[in-house]
Amino acid sequence: MIKILLSFLFILSSNLYSEAYYEFEDVENEARFYNLIKEIRCPKCTSGSLASSNAPVSEDLKKAISQMIVDGKSDTEIKNYISDRFGKDTLYDTPVEPNTYVLWYSPFIFLTICLIVFFIRERAK
Amino acid sequence: MKQILKILVFIVPICIFAFFYTYLSKDNSYPGADYRVFEIPSFDLTELYKETELSNEDLSGNFLINVWASWCITCRVEHGFLEKLSSSGIRIIGLNYKDDRSDAIEWLKKYRDPYELVIHDFNGSLALDMGVTGAPETFLISNGKVIAHYRGEVNQMIWEDVFIKTIKDSEIIL
Repeated sequence: MIKILLSFLFILSSNLYSEAYYEFEDVENEARFYNLIKEIRCPKCTSGSLASSNAPVSEDLKKAISQMIVDGKSDTEIKNYISDRFGKDTLYDTPVEPNTYVLWYSPFIFLTICLIVFFIRERAK
Repeated sequence: MKQILKILVFIVPICIFAFFYTYLSKDNSYPGADYRVFEIPSFDLTELYKETELSNEDLSGNFLINVWASWCITCRVEHGFLEKLSSSGIRIIGLNYKDDRSDAIEWLKKYRDPYELVIHDFNGSLALDMGVTGAPETFLISNGKVIAHYRGEVNQMIWEDVFIKTIKDSEIIL
């Protein structure tokens, strides 16, 4: 009897203390959810995705994201919702915008300059 | 050709140095400060003491919103400075974040209440909409719009460098 009781309590406890989980109607949405929380940085952490964080704000955001997926919002809408509130640095994927042009294009400009210098030198020889 | 390369050897490092010098020597960039302007999201919450309903219409003019909780240690550290601000005539509205109503009231009784009004946000819904990551955080509001947001403890230095500066730049009277 005690054995049964103990095993019952054991099974029950693991459920009671497990993290909040997120339910979706189809597998596709579930996959979207787990992709999104990997692509969004936890606003409270120096680095680390929502998926890796259990900070209260991350738990709230995960809840908000799962709700938005159920409501039929697109990935872009969800990402905008979060970057509007917590800043663009919450997105690991840096958008191409006037203030990020230096970041995105400077390597190509630098490479072009190097190639030009290289060819001019070759020709001079 | 060699001449050009010789000059480039000097010019390129100077340019790189100048670029990083100007980018990195801006002293006004506090890591917790955010100056994006946005409207206070619409909310439907209750007042901490009276449990009366509160919405955006109950907030008017220029004031601070301070996010706090009785479980938050840094809020206790910050509290003295908020009291100083409040007694100098600055309007502070409290946003009680993920806190038990009775704990929050008890806390304010114990440490004195610098707030004109306290909004009780038990689920942190308004806080999440405003981009709050924890407590304490402070917003500067001018006519329904957030014009500065600081994540962390506000003290004399932060008050002057983040808030006073924004108040002067946007020419508002608090």
